[in-house]
Amino acid sequence: MRMRIVTLACLSFMLPLLAAPLHAAEGDAAAGKNKTAMCAGCHGIAGFRTAYPETYHVPKLGGQNAGYIVSALKAYKAGDRQHPTMKAIAASLSDQDMADLAAYYSGK
Amino acid sequence: MKNLLIALMALAGWVVTEHAFAGGDAARGKEKAGLCSTCHGPEGNAPIAPEYPRLAGQPDDYLEKALRDYKSGKRKNPLMAPQAQNLSKQDIKDLAAYFSGLNGDLKVKY
Repeated sequence: MRMRIVTLACLSFMLPLLAAPLHAAEGDAAAGKNKTAMCAGCHGIAGFRTAYPETYHVPKLGGQNAGYIVSALKAYKAGDRQHPTMKAIAASLSDQDMADLAAYYSGK
Repeated sequence: MKNLLIALMALAGWVVTEHAFAGGDAARGKEKAGLCSTCHGPEGNAPIAPEYPRLAGQPDDYLEKALRDYKSGKRKNPLMAPQAQNLSKQDIKDLAAYFSGLNGDLKVKY
């Protein structure tokens, strides 16, 4: 019984840690607009196709969910999504850069 | 000889179109999209969580690649991997055709 209380107490202390990732960096759309130099060459051109290593049209970013844009960039950075150019670009971005870009692209 | 050559070229052309460029059927894709809508929202334009993407209007070849990569494990995602496992090549093409043909909030933004 006592063990159980200790366990519960430990868990309750851990709860805020579990919630921590939800409080990601707050994005600033205006700051994000100034960071699109590496994005616009492909994502800013209607009908643009990436050619390496596979050929397909790059996704539209305007109007996309901010949370998704951040998770996509993190996945490229971590290697969970594989695209050499996107991996290199994402690796150069801080969490704040990602949040700012996401705020810019998701905005109206 | 010339006729044989023409026939062979026609056959080669058919093989290439059938296999490399077989298109998706948006109507069939719509029938298969029920499960997608539970998370990505009706018509793929209103995801239930901010971490989930809008799909409506994304290029079909991009959507196809995403599903292919989820299926092969090249793109790692614990939620999408099991969904993509259940899709055939044709299912993937049909779903990509359906969602790319929808008009949502996505647009090219410079």
